[in-house]
Amino acid sequence: MIDKAEYREYVGKSAPKSPMFRSLAAAFLVGGLICCVGQAVGDVISVLFPDMSADDVGSWTTVVMIFFGSFFTAIGVYDKLGHFAGGGSIIPITGFANSVVSPALEYNREGVFFGICAKMFVIAGPIIVFGVVAGIIVGVISLFA
Amino acid sequence: MKEGRQSFLAKKPVYLRSSYTIVGPKEGDGNFGECFDTVLRDDRWGEKSYEKAESKMHREAIRGAICLAGLDFDGIDLMLAGDLLNEISASSLAMRYFKVPFAGLYNACSTFSEGVLLAAALIDGGAVKTVTCSTSSHFASAERQYRYPLELGNQRTPTSQWTVTGAGCSVLSGERPEAEKDAENRENFAEKMNEIRESCLKSAEEEDERQKRRGARDKDENPFAHGGEKLFGAVKRKILRICRPDSLIEPQCDPSYRRTHVVKITGGTFGKVVDFGLTDESNMGGAMAPAAADTFLAHLKDTGASPGDYDAIFTGDLGRFGKQAFEYILAREGVRLDNYYDCGAGYYKPEQETFQGGSGAGCVNTVFNGSIVKRMERGELKKVLVLATGALLNKDTPLQKESIPGVSHAFVAECEEL
Repeated sequence: MIDKAEYREYVGKSAPKSPMFRSLAAAFLVGGLICCVGQAVGDVISVLFPDMSADDVGSWTTVVMIFFGSFFTAIGVYDKLGHFAGGGSIIPITGFANSVVSPALEYNREGVFFGICAKMFVIAGPIIVFGVVAGIIVGVISLFA
Repeated sequence: MKEGRQSFLAKKPVYLRSSYTIVGPKEGDGNFGECFDTVLRDDRWGEKSYEKAESKMHREAIRGAICLAGLDFDGIDLMLAGDLLNEISASSLAMRYFKVPFAGLYNACSTFSEGVLLAAALIDGGAVKTVTCSTSSHFASAERQYRYPLELGNQRTPTSQWTVTGAGCSVLSGERPEAEKDAENRENFAEKMNEIRESCLKSAEEEDERQKRRGARDKDENPFAHGGEKLFGAVKRKILRICRPDSLIEPQCDPSYRRTHVVKITGGTFGKVVDFGLTDESNMGGAMAPAAADTFLAHLKDTGASPGDYDAIFTGDLGRFGKQAFEYILAREGVRLDNYYDCGAGYYKPEQETFQGGSGAGCVNTVFNGSIVKRMERGELKKVLVLATGALLNKDTPLQKESIPGVSHAFVAECEEL
Protein backbone atom coordinates (compact mmCIF):
# COMPACT_ATOMS: atom_id res chain seq x y z
CA MET A 1 0.00 0.00 0.00
CA ILE A 2 0.95 3.58 -0.60
CA ASP A 3 2.87 5.41 2.11
CA LYS A 4 0.63 7.41 4.47
CA ALA A 5 2.47 10.72 4.18
CA GLU A 6 2.61 10.35 0.43
CA TYR A 7 -1.12 9.70 0.28
CA ARG A 8 -1.86 12.74 2.44
CA GLU A 9 0.24 14.82 0.09
CA TYR A 10 -1.67 13.41 -2.89
CA VAL A 11 -5.01 14.27 -1.26
CA GLY A 12 -3.84 17.76 -0.34
CA LYS A 13 -2.68 18.36 -3.90
CA SER A 14 -5.50 16.85 -5.90
CA ALA A 15 -8.64 17.29 -3.77
CA PRO A 16 -10.95 19.84 -5.41
CA LYS A 17 -10.67 23.31 -3.96
CA SER A 18 -13.11 26.18 -3.65
CA PRO A 19 -13.02 28.49 -6.66
CA MET A 20 -11.24 31.45 -5.08
CA PHE A 21 -12.27 34.22 -7.46
CA ARG A 22 -15.93 33.23 -7.64
CA SER A 23 -16.21 32.91 -3.84
CA LEU A 24 -14.54 36.26 -3.23
CA ALA A 25 -16.61 38.04 -5.86
CA ALA A 26 -19.90 36.59 -4.55
CA ALA A 27 -18.97 37.44 -0.95
CA PHE A 28 -17.96 40.99 -1.94
CA LEU A 29 -21.17 41.61 -3.90
CA VAL A 30 -23.64 40.17 -1.42
CA GLY A 31 -21.83 41.50 1.67
CA GLY A 32 -21.70 44.94 0.09
CA LEU A 33 -25.38 44.72 -0.85
CA ILE A 34 -26.37 43.83 2.72
CA CYS A 35 -24.34 46.77 4.01
CA CYS A 36 -26.07 49.06 1.47
CA VAL A 37 -29.45 47.82 2.71
CA GLY A 38 -28.28 48.57 6.27
CA GLN A 39 -27.25 52.07 5.25
CA ALA A 40 -30.60 52.60 3.54
CA VAL A 41 -32.44 51.44 6.66
CA GLY A 42 -30.39 53.88 8.75
CA ASP A 43 -31.14 56.72 6.31
CA VAL A 44 -34.87 55.97 6.33
CA ILE A 45 -34.89 55.91 10.15
CA SER A 46 -33.09 59.25 10.38
CA VAL A 47 -35.60 60.77 7.90
CA LEU A 48 -38.59 59.38 9.79
CA PHE A 49 -37.23 60.42 13.20
CA PRO A 50 -35.21 63.61 12.62
CA ASP A 51 -34.68 64.17 16.36
CA MET A 52 -32.98 60.85 16.94
CA SER A 53 -29.25 60.94 17.79
CA ALA A 54 -26.77 59.23 15.46
CA ASP A 55 -26.04 56.51 18.07
CA ASP A 56 -29.71 55.67 18.42
CA VAL A 57 -30.14 55.50 14.66
CA GLY A 58 -27.25 53.02 14.56
CA SER A 59 -28.81 50.85 17.28
CA TRP A 60 -32.21 50.82 15.58
CA THR A 61 -30.62 49.99 12.25
CA THR A 62 -28.94 47.00 13.91
CA VAL A 63 -32.26 45.90 15.37
CA VAL A 64 -33.97 46.14 11.98
CA MET A 65 -31.14 44.22 10.25
CA ILE A 66 -31.30 41.48 12.92
CA PHE A 67 -35.02 41.25 12.22
CA PHE A 68 -34.36 40.90 8.49
CA GLY A 69 -31.75 38.21 9.11
CA SER A 70 -34.08 36.24 11.38
CA PHE A 71 -37.05 36.68 9.09
CA PHE A 72 -35.26 35.47 5.98
CA THR A 73 -33.82 32.55 7.94
CA ALA A 74 -37.28 31.58 9.12
CA ILE A 75 -38.78 31.60 5.63
CA GLY A 76 -35.85 29.54 4.36
CA VAL A 77 -34.16 32.09 2.10
CA TYR A 78 -31.04 32.97 4.06
CA ASP A 79 -29.39 29.55 3.79
CA LYS A 80 -29.73 29.70 0.01
CA LEU A 81 -28.15 33.15 0.02
CA GLY A 82 -25.40 31.73 2.24
CA HIS A 83 -24.70 28.87 -0.20
CA PHE A 84 -24.09 31.47 -2.86
CA ALA A 85 -22.36 34.22 -0.90
CA GLY A 86 -20.44 32.41 1.87
CA GLY A 87 -18.64 34.96 4.02
CA GLY A 88 -20.55 37.81 2.41
CA SER A 89 -23.70 36.86 4.26
CA ILE A 90 -22.05 35.38 7.38
CA ILE A 91 -20.03 38.42 8.50
CA PRO A 92 -22.80 41.10 8.62
CA ILE A 93 -25.15 41.17 11.61
CA THR A 94 -27.80 39.37 9.54
CA GLY A 95 -25.48 36.36 9.48
CA PHE A 96 -25.22 36.47 13.26
CA ALA A 97 -29.02 36.50 13.48
CA ASN A 98 -29.04 33.52 11.10
CA SER A 99 -26.61 31.58 13.30
CA VAL A 100 -28.92 32.03 16.30
CA VAL A 101 -32.25 31.46 14.58
CA SER A 102 -31.24 28.41 12.53
CA PRO A 103 -30.40 26.19 15.55
CA ALA A 104 -33.51 27.48 17.30
CA LEU A 105 -35.56 26.27 14.33
CA GLU A 106 -33.63 23.03 14.12
CA TYR A 107 -33.99 22.08 17.79
CA ASN A 108 -37.57 23.29 18.07
CA ARG A 109 -38.72 19.69 18.14
CA GLU A 110 -36.87 18.89 21.37
CA GLY A 111 -39.06 21.32 23.31
CA VAL A 112 -38.62 24.86 24.55
CA PHE A 113 -36.15 24.39 27.41
CA PHE A 114 -33.63 21.80 26.30
CA GLY A 115 -34.37 22.30 22.64
CA ILE A 116 -34.67 25.93 21.64
CA CYS A 117 -33.22 27.66 24.72
CA ALA A 118 -30.30 25.30 25.29
CA LYS A 119 -29.28 24.82 21.66
CA MET A 120 -29.90 28.34 20.36
CA PHE A 121 -26.30 29.41 20.95
CA VAL A 122 -24.43 26.33 19.73
CA ILE A 123 -22.98 28.32 16.85
CA ALA A 124 -23.23 31.91 18.08
CA GLY A 125 -22.01 31.05 21.60
CA PRO A 126 -18.28 31.66 20.93
CA ILE A 127 -19.07 35.02 19.29
CA ILE A 128 -21.02 36.15 22.33
CA VAL A 129 -18.35 34.93 24.76
CA PHE A 130 -15.57 36.68 22.86
CA GLY A 131 -17.70 39.80 22.53
CA VAL A 132 -18.32 39.96 26.27
CA VAL A 133 -14.70 39.20 27.17
CA ALA A 134 -13.41 41.82 24.72
CA GLY A 135 -15.93 44.29 26.15
CA ILE A 136 -14.67 43.68 29.69
CA ILE A 137 -11.03 44.07 28.66
CA VAL A 138 -11.68 47.31 26.77
CA GLY A 139 -13.80 48.56 29.67
CA VAL A 140 -11.07 47.88 32.21
CA ILE A 141 -8.44 49.55 30.00
CA SER A 142 -10.62 52.64 29.51
CA LEU A 143 -11.13 52.83 33.29
CA PHE A 144 -7.39 53.37 33.84
CA ALA A 145 -6.47 55.12 30.62
CA MET B 1 -15.89 -21.24 5.26
CA LYS B 2 -12.90 -19.10 6.03
CA GLU B 3 -10.74 -18.22 3.08
CA GLY B 4 -7.38 -16.59 3.60
CA ARG B 5 -6.97 -13.97 6.29
CA GLN B 6 -10.17 -11.88 6.09
CA SER B 7 -12.53 -13.56 3.64
CA PHE B 8 -15.07 -16.33 3.58
CA LEU B 9 -16.93 -18.30 0.97
CA ALA B 10 -20.48 -19.44 1.61
CA LYS B 11 -20.73 -23.20 1.25
CA LYS B 12 -24.51 -23.19 1.19
CA PRO B 13 -26.20 -20.84 -1.25
CA VAL B 14 -27.53 -17.67 0.34
CA TYR B 15 -30.34 -16.27 -1.81
CA LEU B 16 -31.65 -12.77 -1.95
CA ARG B 17 -35.37 -13.40 -1.58
CA SER B 18 -36.49 -9.83 -2.08
CA SER B 19 -35.36 -6.25 -1.81
CA TYR B 20 -37.20 -3.01 -1.27
CA THR B 21 -36.17 0.63 -1.33
CA ILE B 22 -37.72 3.92 -0.28
CA VAL B 23 -36.04 7.23 -1.11
CA GLY B 24 -36.71 10.92 -0.80
CA PRO B 25 -37.71 13.32 -3.59
CA LYS B 26 -34.19 14.51 -4.42
CA GLU B 27 -33.01 10.93 -4.84
CA GLY B 28 -36.03 10.27 -7.05
CA ASP B 29 -34.80 13.03 -9.37
CA GLY B 30 -31.29 11.56 -9.43
CA ASN B 31 -29.69 9.11 -11.81
CA PHE B 32 -31.22 6.02 -10.18
CA GLY B 33 -34.68 7.59 -9.86
CA GLU B 34 -36.32 4.96 -12.06
CA CYS B 35 -35.02 2.01 -10.05
CA PHE B 36 -36.46 2.68 -6.62
CA ASP B 37 -39.62 1.02 -5.41
CA THR B 38 -41.03 4.04 -3.62
CA VAL B 39 -40.11 7.68 -4.09
CA LEU B 40 -41.52 9.99 -1.44
CA ARG B 41 -42.90 13.36 -2.42
CA ASP B 42 -42.12 14.84 0.96
CA ASP B 43 -38.92 14.02 2.82
CA ARG B 44 -40.70 14.31 6.16
CA TRP B 45 -43.37 11.80 5.09
CA GLY B 46 -46.05 13.51 7.17
CA GLU B 47 -44.04 13.07 10.39
CA LYS B 48 -43.13 15.78 12.87
CA SER B 49 -39.36 15.36 12.68
CA TYR B 50 -36.83 14.07 10.18
CA GLU B 51 -35.70 11.43 12.65
CA LYS B 52 -39.23 10.07 12.87
CA ALA B 53 -39.45 10.15 9.09
CA GLU B 54 -36.20 8.18 8.80
CA SER B 55 -37.45 5.61 11.25
CA LYS B 56 -40.69 5.32 9.31
CA MET B 57 -38.80 4.86 6.04
CA HIS B 58 -36.71 2.15 7.68
CA ARG B 59 -39.79 0.40 9.02
CA GLU B 60 -41.68 0.55 5.75
CA ALA B 61 -38.64 -0.66 3.78
CA ILE B 62 -38.43 -3.75 6.00
CA ARG B 63 -42.16 -4.32 5.83
CA GLY B 64 -42.09 -3.97 2.05
CA ALA B 65 -39.21 -6.41 1.63
CA ILE B 66 -40.84 -8.99 3.89
CA CYS B 67 -44.13 -8.67 2.00
CA LEU B 68 -42.38 -9.02 -1.35
CA ALA B 69 -40.64 -12.15 -0.11
CA GLY B 70 -44.07 -13.58 0.63
CA LEU B 71 -43.19 -14.02 4.29
CA ASP B 72 -44.65 -12.78 7.52
CA PHE B 73 -42.84 -11.90 10.73
CA ASP B 74 -42.78 -15.53 11.88
CA GLY B 75 -40.76 -16.34 8.81
CA ILE B 76 -37.92 -13.99 9.79
CA ASP B 77 -35.39 -15.31 12.30
CA LEU B 78 -33.27 -12.22 12.80
CA MET B 79 -33.13 -8.62 11.72
CA LEU B 80 -29.81 -6.90 11.15
CA ALA B 81 -30.18 -3.17 10.89
CA GLY B 82 -28.27 0.04 11.35
CA ASP B 83 -28.24 3.73 10.51
CA LEU B 84 -26.23 6.86 11.18
CA LEU B 85 -28.16 8.42 14.05
CA ASN B 86 -26.95 8.36 17.63
CA GLU B 87 -27.33 4.92 19.18
CA ILE B 88 -28.79 3.75 15.82
CA SER B 89 -32.11 5.15 16.95
CA ALA B 90 -33.85 5.08 13.57
CA SER B 91 -33.49 1.30 13.31
CA SER B 92 -34.12 0.55 16.98
CA LEU B 93 -37.29 2.61 17.02
CA ALA B 94 -38.44 1.02 13.77
CA MET B 95 -37.97 -2.42 15.35
CA ARG B 96 -40.68 -1.75 17.91
CA TYR B 97 -43.18 -2.75 15.24
CA PHE B 98 -41.73 -6.17 14.56
CA LYS B 99 -41.87 -9.12 16.89
CA VAL B 100 -38.58 -10.49 15.60
CA PRO B 101 -35.12 -10.67 17.23
CA PHE B 102 -33.03 -7.65 16.32
CA ALA B 103 -29.27 -7.15 16.24
CA GLY B 104 -28.17 -3.56 15.73
CA LEU B 105 -25.10 -2.82 13.65
CA TYR B 106 -22.98 0.23 13.14
CA ASN B 107 -20.15 0.69 10.69
CA ALA B 108 -21.10 4.13 9.41
CA CYS B 109 -21.92 4.03 5.71
CA SER B 110 -20.63 0.48 5.29
CA THR B 111 -23.27 -0.93 7.66
CA PHE B 112 -25.21 -2.47 4.79
CA SER B 113 -22.40 -4.67 3.54
CA GLU B 114 -21.51 -5.55 7.12
CA GLY B 115 -25.10 -6.71 7.56
CA VAL B 116 -25.10 -8.71 4.33
CA LEU B 117 -21.80 -10.40 5.22
CA LEU B 118 -22.97 -11.30 8.72
CA ALA B 119 -26.30 -12.54 7.39
CA ALA B 120 -24.57 -14.71 4.79
CA ALA B 121 -22.21 -16.09 7.43
CA LEU B 122 -25.06 -16.82 9.87
CA ILE B 123 -27.17 -18.53 7.22
CA ASP B 124 -24.17 -20.47 5.97
CA GLY B 125 -23.37 -21.57 9.50
CA GLY B 126 -26.94 -22.65 10.09
CA ALA B 127 -27.67 -20.30 12.99
CA VAL B 128 -30.63 -18.74 11.19
CA LYS B 129 -32.66 -19.42 8.07
CA THR B 130 -33.98 -16.05 6.99
CA VAL B 131 -32.54 -12.64 7.84
CA THR B 132 -33.38 -9.06 6.88
CA CYS B 133 -30.56 -6.57 6.34
CA SER B 134 -31.61 -2.97 6.33
CA THR B 135 -30.06 0.46 6.70
CA SER B 136 -31.31 4.00 6.38
CA SER B 137 -30.02 7.53 6.31
CA HIS B 138 -31.69 10.89 5.98
CA PHE B 139 -30.07 14.08 4.74
CA ALA B 140 -31.70 16.37 7.29
CA SER B 141 -31.12 14.18 10.34
CA ALA B 142 -27.50 13.43 9.38
CA GLU B 143 -26.81 17.08 8.65
CA ARG B 144 -28.08 18.02 12.07
CA GLN B 145 -26.11 15.32 13.82
CA TYR B 146 -22.77 15.64 12.04
CA ARG B 147 -22.77 19.17 10.71
CA TYR B 148 -24.86 22.31 11.12
CA PRO B 149 -28.53 23.24 11.34
CA LEU B 150 -30.24 23.10 7.94
CA GLU B 151 -31.08 26.80 7.76
CA LEU B 152 -27.57 27.98 8.60
CA GLY B 153 -26.23 30.01 5.70
CA ASN B 154 -22.79 28.44 5.32
CA GLN B 155 -21.06 27.18 2.22
CA ARG B 156 -20.39 23.54 1.51
CA THR B 157 -16.88 22.73 0.42
CA PRO B 158 -16.27 21.14 -3.00
CA THR B 159 -15.18 17.90 -1.30
CA SER B 160 -18.42 17.53 0.66
CA GLN B 161 -21.00 14.87 -0.07
CA TRP B 162 -24.76 14.82 0.18
CA THR B 163 -26.26 12.28 2.59
CA VAL B 164 -28.81 10.17 0.78
CA THR B 165 -32.36 10.21 2.09
CA GLY B 166 -33.26 6.60 1.70
CA ALA B 167 -33.83 3.24 3.30
CA GLY B 168 -33.58 -0.20 1.85
CA CYS B 169 -33.95 -3.76 2.98
CA SER B 170 -32.89 -7.13 1.59
CA VAL B 171 -34.27 -10.42 2.77
CA LEU B 172 -31.61 -13.13 2.65
CA SER B 173 -32.48 -16.75 3.03
CA GLY B 174 -31.15 -20.24 2.55
CA GLU B 175 -34.36 -21.11 0.70
CA ARG B 176 -34.50 -20.58 -3.01
CA PRO B 177 -37.27 -18.29 -4.25
CA GLU B 178 -39.67 -19.79 -6.79
CA ALA B 179 -40.80 -18.10 -9.96
CA GLU B 180 -44.53 -18.83 -9.57
CA LYS B 181 -44.61 -17.65 -5.99
CA ASP B 182 -42.72 -14.53 -6.94
CA ALA B 183 -45.47 -13.21 -9.18
CA GLU B 184 -48.10 -14.06 -6.62
CA ASN B 185 -46.19 -12.26 -3.86
CA ARG B 186 -45.81 -9.18 -5.94
CA GLU B 187 -49.50 -9.03 -6.76
CA ASN B 188 -50.45 -9.61 -3.13
CA PHE B 189 -48.09 -6.88 -2.13
CA ALA B 190 -49.52 -4.41 -4.64
CA GLU B 191 -52.99 -5.22 -3.37
CA LYS B 192 -51.92 -4.69 0.22
CA MET B 193 -50.26 -1.38 -0.65
CA ASN B 194 -53.46 -0.25 -2.35
CA GLU B 195 -55.48 -1.17 0.71
CA ILE B 196 -53.16 0.73 3.01
CA ARG B 197 -53.22 3.74 0.74
CA GLU B 198 -56.99 3.73 0.44
CA SER B 199 -57.44 3.50 4.19
CA CYS B 200 -54.94 6.36 4.58
CA LEU B 201 -56.80 8.50 2.08
CA LYS B 202 -60.11 7.66 3.67
CA SER B 203 -58.98 8.60 7.15
CA ALA B 204 -57.49 11.82 5.78
CA GLU B 205 -60.79 12.66 4.10
CA GLU B 206 -62.73 11.90 7.25
CA GLU B 207 -60.38 14.08 9.24
CA ASP B 208 -60.88 16.93 6.75
CA GLU B 209 -64.63 16.51 6.92
CA ARG B 210 -64.55 16.59 10.71
CA GLN B 211 -62.45 19.70 10.68
CA LYS B 212 -64.77 21.38 8.20
CA ARG B 213 -67.75 20.64 10.41
CA ARG B 214 -65.85 21.83 13.46
CA GLY B 215 -64.76 24.93 11.56
CA ALA B 216 -68.40 25.72 10.68
CA ARG B 217 -69.35 25.37 14.33
CA ASP B 218 -66.44 27.51 15.46
CA LYS B 219 -67.56 30.35 13.23
CA ASP B 220 -70.83 30.74 15.12
CA GLU B 221 -69.10 31.01 18.47
CA ASN B 222 -66.81 33.72 19.66
CA PRO B 223 -63.30 32.33 19.18
CA PHE B 224 -62.05 34.08 22.31
CA ALA B 225 -64.72 32.53 24.51
CA HIS B 226 -62.38 29.79 25.76
CA GLY B 227 -59.24 31.79 26.39
CA GLY B 228 -58.24 31.87 22.75
CA GLU B 229 -57.72 28.13 22.74
CA LYS B 230 -60.23 27.69 19.96
CA LEU B 231 -58.62 30.36 17.84
CA PHE B 232 -55.18 28.84 18.15
CA GLY B 233 -56.65 25.40 17.65
CA ALA B 234 -58.14 26.53 14.37
CA VAL B 235 -54.87 28.13 13.25
CA LYS B 236 -52.97 25.01 14.20
CA ARG B 237 -55.34 22.79 12.27
CA LYS B 238 -55.02 25.00 9.25
CA ILE B 239 -51.22 24.83 9.41
CA LEU B 240 -51.38 21.08 9.82
CA ARG B 241 -53.63 20.81 6.81
CA ILE B 242 -51.22 22.83 4.69
CA CYS B 243 -48.24 20.83 5.91
CA ARG B 244 -49.92 17.49 5.55
CA PRO B 245 -49.01 16.85 2.00
CA ASP B 246 -50.34 14.51 -0.56
CA SER B 247 -47.53 12.36 0.76
CA LEU B 248 -50.21 9.92 1.81
CA ILE B 249 -50.46 8.94 -1.83
CA GLU B 250 -47.01 7.60 -2.56
CA PRO B 251 -46.03 6.16 -5.89
CA GLN B 252 -45.60 2.50 -5.23
CA CYS B 253 -43.49 -0.32 -6.49
CA ASP B 254 -44.24 -1.78 -9.87
CA PRO B 255 -46.44 -4.89 -9.50
CA SER B 256 -45.71 -6.14 -13.00
CA TYR B 257 -41.96 -6.47 -12.41
CA ARG B 258 -40.71 -10.05 -12.87
CA ARG B 259 -37.23 -11.39 -12.40
CA THR B 260 -35.61 -14.00 -14.57
CA HIS B 261 -32.56 -14.54 -12.40
CA VAL B 262 -32.04 -14.86 -8.68
CA VAL B 263 -29.20 -13.17 -6.82
CA LYS B 264 -27.13 -15.02 -4.27
CA ILE B 265 -24.42 -13.89 -1.92
CA THR B 266 -21.43 -16.16 -2.31
CA GLY B 267 -18.88 -14.67 0.02
CA GLY B 268 -17.02 -11.61 1.01
CA THR B 269 -14.24 -9.93 2.88
CA PHE B 270 -14.41 -8.21 6.23
CA GLY B 271 -12.40 -5.02 6.27
CA LYS B 272 -9.87 -3.64 8.71
CA VAL B 273 -10.04 -0.14 10.11
CA VAL B 274 -7.52 1.85 8.11
CA ASP B 275 -6.33 5.27 9.19
CA PHE B 276 -4.14 7.34 6.90
CA GLY B 277 -4.23 10.34 9.20
CA LEU B 278 -6.60 12.54 7.25
CA THR B 279 -8.33 15.12 9.40
CA ASP B 280 -10.63 16.98 7.00
CA GLU B 281 -14.13 15.92 7.98
CA SER B 282 -15.59 17.40 4.83
CA ASN B 283 -13.40 15.13 2.69
CA MET B 284 -14.63 11.69 3.64
CA GLY B 285 -13.94 10.21 0.22
CA GLY B 286 -10.22 10.79 0.73
CA ALA B 287 -10.37 9.25 4.20
CA MET B 288 -12.26 6.15 3.06
CA ALA B 289 -10.42 5.38 -0.17
CA PRO B 290 -7.42 3.68 1.57
CA ALA B 291 -9.80 1.45 3.55
CA ALA B 292 -11.60 0.43 0.36
CA ALA B 293 -8.29 -0.26 -1.36
CA ASP B 294 -7.06 -2.28 1.62
CA THR B 295 -10.16 -4.47 1.65
CA PHE B 296 -10.10 -4.85 -2.12
CA LEU B 297 -6.47 -5.97 -2.15
CA ALA B 298 -7.12 -8.35 0.75
CA HIS B 299 -10.09 -9.77 -1.17
CA LEU B 300 -7.99 -10.38 -4.28
CA LYS B 301 -5.24 -11.98 -2.21
CA ASP B 302 -7.56 -14.21 -0.14
CA THR B 303 -9.74 -15.46 -2.95
CA GLY B 304 -7.20 -15.42 -5.75
CA ALA B 305 -9.66 -13.52 -7.94
CA SER B 306 -8.67 -10.83 -10.39
CA PRO B 307 -10.66 -7.65 -11.10
CA GLY B 308 -11.59 -9.07 -14.50
CA ASP B 309 -13.57 -11.90 -12.85
CA TYR B 310 -16.27 -9.42 -11.92
CA ASP B 311 -18.76 -7.88 -14.33
CA ALA B 312 -18.76 -4.79 -12.19
CA ILE B 313 -17.10 -3.55 -9.03
CA PHE B 314 -18.97 -1.02 -6.93
CA THR B 315 -17.66 1.04 -4.06
CA GLY B 316 -20.11 2.59 -1.66
CA ASP B 317 -19.85 6.32 -1.28
CA LEU B 318 -16.31 7.43 -2.04
CA GLY B 319 -17.59 10.27 -4.19
CA ARG B 320 -15.91 11.61 -7.31
CA PHE B 321 -12.63 12.50 -5.62
CA GLY B 322 -12.60 9.35 -3.47
CA LYS B 323 -13.09 7.28 -6.60
CA GLN B 324 -10.09 8.95 -8.17
CA ALA B 325 -8.02 8.39 -5.00
CA PHE B 326 -9.09 4.72 -4.89
CA GLU B 327 -8.01 4.21 -8.48
CA TYR B 328 -4.75 6.04 -7.77
CA ILE B 329 -3.88 3.77 -4.83
CA LEU B 330 -4.73 0.64 -6.80
CA ALA B 331 -2.77 1.86 -9.82
CA ARG B 332 0.25 2.17 -7.54
CA GLU B 333 -0.27 -1.49 -6.59
CA GLY B 334 -0.46 -2.41 -10.26
CA VAL B 335 -4.20 -3.19 -10.26
CA ARG B 336 -6.22 -1.74 -13.12
CA LEU B 337 -9.99 -1.48 -12.96
CA ASP B 338 -12.06 -1.27 -16.14
CA ASN B 339 -15.51 -1.93 -14.78
CA TYR B 340 -15.45 0.08 -11.61
CA TYR B 341 -18.26 2.39 -10.45
CA ASP B 342 -18.92 4.37 -7.32
CA CYS B 343 -22.52 4.36 -6.09
CA GLY B 344 -22.20 7.76 -4.42
CA ALA B 345 -20.47 9.52 -7.31
CA GLY B 346 -23.18 8.46 -9.74
CA TYR B 347 -26.12 8.98 -7.43
CA TYR B 348 -27.14 12.51 -8.28
CA LYS B 349 -27.19 14.49 -11.48
CA PRO B 350 -24.61 17.28 -11.78
CA GLU B 351 -27.27 19.99 -11.75
CA GLN B 352 -28.38 18.84 -8.29
CA GLU B 353 -25.24 20.47 -6.87
CA THR B 354 -24.10 17.81 -4.48
CA PHE B 355 -20.39 18.27 -5.28
CA GLN B 356 -18.94 14.78 -4.66
CA GLY B 357 -22.22 12.88 -4.89
CA GLY B 358 -24.20 10.85 -2.40
CA SER B 359 -23.09 9.26 0.85
CA GLY B 360 -24.65 7.74 3.93
CA ALA B 361 -25.82 4.32 5.04
CA GLY B 362 -28.72 4.51 2.60
CA CYS B 363 -26.53 5.23 -0.41
CA VAL B 364 -24.98 1.86 -1.23
CA ASN B 365 -28.07 0.12 0.11
CA THR B 366 -30.57 1.83 -2.18
CA VAL B 367 -28.26 1.53 -5.19
CA PHE B 368 -27.67 -2.17 -4.53
CA ASN B 369 -31.30 -3.02 -3.81
CA GLY B 370 -32.73 -0.64 -6.37
CA SER B 371 -30.38 -0.81 -9.33
CA ILE B 372 -27.71 -3.51 -9.04
CA VAL B 373 -30.08 -6.25 -7.87
CA LYS B 374 -32.56 -5.45 -10.63
CA ARG B 375 -29.84 -5.50 -13.26
CA MET B 376 -28.67 -8.86 -11.92
CA GLU B 377 -32.22 -10.19 -11.81
CA ARG B 378 -32.53 -9.34 -15.48
CA GLY B 379 -29.25 -11.15 -16.06
CA GLU B 380 -27.32 -8.08 -17.22
CA LEU B 381 -24.68 -8.55 -14.54
CA LYS B 382 -23.53 -12.02 -13.54
CA LYS B 383 -21.08 -11.40 -10.74
CA VAL B 384 -20.42 -8.19 -8.86
CA LEU B 385 -18.32 -7.07 -5.93
CA VAL B 386 -19.76 -4.43 -3.64
CA LEU B 387 -17.38 -2.57 -1.34
CA ALA B 388 -19.35 -0.33 0.98
CA THR B 389 -17.15 2.19 2.73
CA GLY B 390 -17.57 4.05 5.99
CA ALA B 391 -15.79 6.95 7.67
CA LEU B 392 -15.63 6.40 11.40
CA LEU B 393 -16.10 9.66 13.22
CA ASN B 394 -18.59 11.48 15.32
CA LYS B 395 -19.03 15.18 15.87
CA ASP B 396 -16.52 15.33 18.74
CA THR B 397 -13.60 13.23 17.52
CA PRO B 398 -12.33 15.78 14.95
CA LEU B 399 -12.55 18.49 17.65
CA GLN B 400 -10.40 16.27 19.88
CA LYS B 401 -7.81 16.25 17.07
CA GLU B 402 -8.43 12.64 16.11
CA SER B 403 -7.89 11.66 12.53
CA ILE B 404 -10.66 9.98 10.52
CA PRO B 405 -10.26 6.23 9.98
CA GLY B 406 -12.20 4.35 7.35
CA VAL B 407 -13.55 0.84 7.09
CA SER B 408 -14.84 -1.12 4.15
CA HIS B 409 -16.54 -4.50 3.85
CA ALA B 410 -16.92 -6.30 0.56
CA PHE B 411 -19.42 -8.91 -0.52
CA VAL B 412 -19.75 -10.87 -3.73
CA ALA B 413 -23.14 -11.27 -5.38
CA GLU B 414 -23.74 -13.68 -8.24
CA CYS B 415 -26.85 -14.53 -10.15
CA GLU B 416 -28.28 -17.74 -11.53
CA GLU B 417 -31.40 -18.43 -13.53
CA LEU B 418 -34.61 -18.65 -11.63
